[in-house]
Amino acid sequence: MIRDVLLELYSMFAGDARMSLSALAVVGVSAVLAVEVSTAAGGALLLGGSLIVLATSILAAARRKP
Amino acid sequence: MFAWATAAPAIASAFLASFVEIVEALTIVLAVVSLRGWRPAIAGTLASLATLAAIVLALGPLLSRVPLGALQVTIGILLLLFGLGWLRKASLRAAGVIALHDEDAIFAREAAELGAEVARRETSRDWIAGMAAYKAVLLEGLEVVFIVIAVGAGRGLMVPAGIGALGACVVVLAIGAVVHKPLSRVPENTLKFVVGVMLSTFGVYWTGEGLGVAWPGGDLALLAIGLLFLATAAGTAIAARRLATA
Repeated sequence: MIRDVLLELYSMFAGDARMSLSALAVVGVSAVLAVEVSTAAGGALLLGGSLIVLATSILAAARRKP
Repeated sequence: MFAWATAAPAIASAFLASFVEIVEALTIVLAVVSLRGWRPAIAGTLASLATLAAIVLALGPLLSRVPLGALQVTIGILLLLFGLGWLRKASLRAAGVIALHDEDAIFAREAAELGAEVARRETSRDWIAGMAAYKAVLLEGLEVVFIVIAVGAGRGLMVPAGIGALGACVVVLAIGAVVHKPLSRVPENTLKFVVGVMLSTFGVYWTGEGLGVAWPGGDLALLAIGLLFLATAAGTAIAARRLATA
């Protein structure tokens, strides 16, 4: 039961591990940009990066379809 | 007291997201009912709700001790991951890359698996059926709890988000009690798509706020971010359909 709960929690946030890691990388770089350059640049990268991560993940899955 | 302009998106997001989860839980509970009757199904469901209430009561007060900025970033990131996951899956289903979620098929599969499991055991058949209901409600319920926390905690909107989730629970249970079969006519993928857009939007917005981003237009930026996610996901789904059929 605990294993199932942990698996459910994992799949909630990392159903597609590659996309989740990419999204986390976008957040990380955006945070650095917000602190070191400007919050506006950080916000722009956060939004733009998230949209790109989503689009590339969907297209990659479509290409992998047998 | 909360302002409706602020609370309405939280209520709507929590309602729609919880609706999808509760429909999925109902399907399995109904599979239990079809095999062993209402008693183990209700017992498993009530036990699961008690477990969820205990988790909320134990962990809920801890949220108020987390500084708002850290809470917004943490919940924003989790919402973004959760929302992107739903949006990706809904887009791939809309594009025909992966199969649509079929409540009737899930009901049939769960009923068959549970029937085989019950047939193997001589005793405690109601216990097995009750545990199946317990597990289904617990797993889907955990997602509902997360949704309420994620949608509500960053802005002090836990009550509106809770009202949204409770409303979804009442509506699904009322429909389920009347029709006595899986709610396969619910446009689940459309709901998942809309909720994915909403959760991703909140995720980007709150993560940005936590990082100190002053979004242009304040809360109105939510609308613009949402439209960008909607356009990107819809456009990519169309491109994915072409790729998959090429």
